[in-house]
Amino acid sequence: MTTTPSTAVAPPHASVWRRGRRRTTPSHQPPRSELPPATRRAQRRLGVLLVTPLVAIVAVFLLFPLVNAAYFMFVDFNGIDPNPPWVGLGNLTELAQDPKVWTALRHNIVWIIVGTMAPLIIGLWLALLVWGARSGGSAYRLIFFLPYVLPQVAIGIVWSWIYAPSRGWLNRALEAVGLGSWTKGWLGDPDTALYAVLATAIWATFGFVFVIFLAALQNVDMDQVDAARLDGANAVQRVRYVIVPQIMPVFLTVATITLIGGFAVFDIVFVMTGGGPAGASEVLGTYAYSSAFQLNRISYGTTLALIVTVVAIPFAISLNRLQRRLSLEGMGA
Amino acid sequence: MTGRRPGSGRRRRVLAGTHLLLIGLSAVTLFPLVLTISTALKTSQDVKVNPFGLFSSFSTENLVTAWTVGNFSDYVVNSFLLSVPSTLLVLVLSTMGGYAFARLPFRGRTVLFYLVIMGLLVPFFTYMIPLYFQLRAMGLLDSLLGVNLVLASTELSFGTFFMRAFFSDLPPELDQAARVDGASEWQIFLRVMLPLVTSGIGALAVFTFLKTWNNFLVPLLYIPSGRYRPLTTGLYLFVGGRSVDIGPLAAGTLITILPVIVLFVALQRQVTQGFLSGAVKG
Repeated sequence: MTTTPSTAVAPPHASVWRRGRRRTTPSHQPPRSELPPATRRAQRRLGVLLVTPLVAIVAVFLLFPLVNAAYFMFVDFNGIDPNPPWVGLGNLTELAQDPKVWTALRHNIVWIIVGTMAPLIIGLWLALLVWGARSGGSAYRLIFFLPYVLPQVAIGIVWSWIYAPSRGWLNRALEAVGLGSWTKGWLGDPDTALYAVLATAIWATFGFVFVIFLAALQNVDMDQVDAARLDGANAVQRVRYVIVPQIMPVFLTVATITLIGGFAVFDIVFVMTGGGPAGASEVLGTYAYSSAFQLNRISYGTTLALIVTVVAIPFAISLNRLQRRLSLEGMGA
Repeated sequence: MTGRRPGSGRRRRVLAGTHLLLIGLSAVTLFPLVLTISTALKTSQDVKVNPFGLFSSFSTENLVTAWTVGNFSDYVVNSFLLSVPSTLLVLVLSTMGGYAFARLPFRGRTVLFYLVIMGLLVPFFTYMIPLYFQLRAMGLLDSLLGVNLVLASTELSFGTFFMRAFFSDLPPELDQAARVDGASEWQIFLRVMLPLVTSGIGALAVFTFLKTWNNFLVPLLYIPSGRYRPLTTGLYLFVGGRSVDIGPLAAGTLITILPVIVLFVALQRQVTQGFLSGAVKG
């Protein structure tokens, strides 16, 4: 096994995670009968006192705007009129007939599929490499995780230089390997803009997946791996049939996270292309933003944003269910 | 992949090859950073002639331009004005709430807990538009108070979830023993429990600070006048303003990411722990 200090990170995070997912009711329940009524009263008082400021802020800055979003959905608010006209399902029917919405949705789906699969594959591959390298784990973790903590604005700016049509490093690299005919302005070309931004997002997320997998690999049962080797399983088979099943719950958790992220993608597209050129990289998030704040179609933009969330949640819940079932079956997590 | 005989030559070659590959991949991963540093430290003349050549000249003039003409000196201050109070608020409220939700029975506890952690499921952009009009009506647009409260509210769900887990892990015998010794409920919280979760608070502090420092949408939307513009939105508007002048832009990028990198390298464990648990947010 590697001697990376990642185990120092893994247990608290793993326990935080699992507790939150499996046990939904608060776990620690003081034995009621043993406590005198005065103590119980004091606990109740303190409990209410401690959560009041928290609940107040969440209510004002999260719940209230959410309820408001649902209201905006049924009216046509232009940002000024205090009594906007009621339009019922008008926003929804318009949305269903808006070709831009379907284009944006298609881009989100590409984003979800590629943007989930690629970091999972790269992350797993790298984790296996570092796991097998048996030293330098903490240095590799530092390097590969670094992009994930950087602000997306900065990432977008630097990558737009790499994609620059003249003398950008991507084009230079292509020329250097004899693919000079492939060079182009990657972000300005409608055929490649979405994928160029997506590749940047993958660069920014694979390290996160990698660190999670590396922590999960520390818990893999080495006896099973050795037994598989003795039975003549090659490296690929050992990964496919012995290692991956053991880290499957983690795999699905990570897939859930990147999937929700795929629905909610905004910052990086907004910074790098703003959804352009000509909508070629428009996603639901950027379309909602421009509808609301550039076209003053507040209700329409809000409806879009709400729909994204409503669509994303069932996916997240079903993946989460699958993950929970697998980890309950004792396949390790 | 998992050799047991490090002595054998083939194994050692495989190991060396693995490291070589990993070092190559590290270089590719770090390349955008190298490019940023290199471009930020060039002379403006060199930036014009050879914009992306690596380390072809050295000068601090881009940094000076970004700092003075580009207003990045103000942006740095504003970034702190927006990150520090909101982080402190998150720490205090999450610790209080996390403790109550973990260890104090009171009516409505489960419902309130679900309401608070609902923010983990709902992306910010779902409600960013109504929130804009709400803040306008409350007179909180363009104000430090309003933006700090919003920034804190986006991190409170996770913070509460995170701190509750730490308090739940403490053994129940602790408060019983303290109660036998005559400690009040307040004293149990402040003197007995709080000191035991400082590592959790530390991780949450670093994580929340980074998240608020990196936040782009909240200041973009809710500071329309630009009065307290932080580094992230400042950098974005800088791109719009002078798209050709990439020297100062690279310097601005460097100024924006430098605190993040320093914090990450110094406190890698806390940052990673926060982000991994923060994973539930997606």
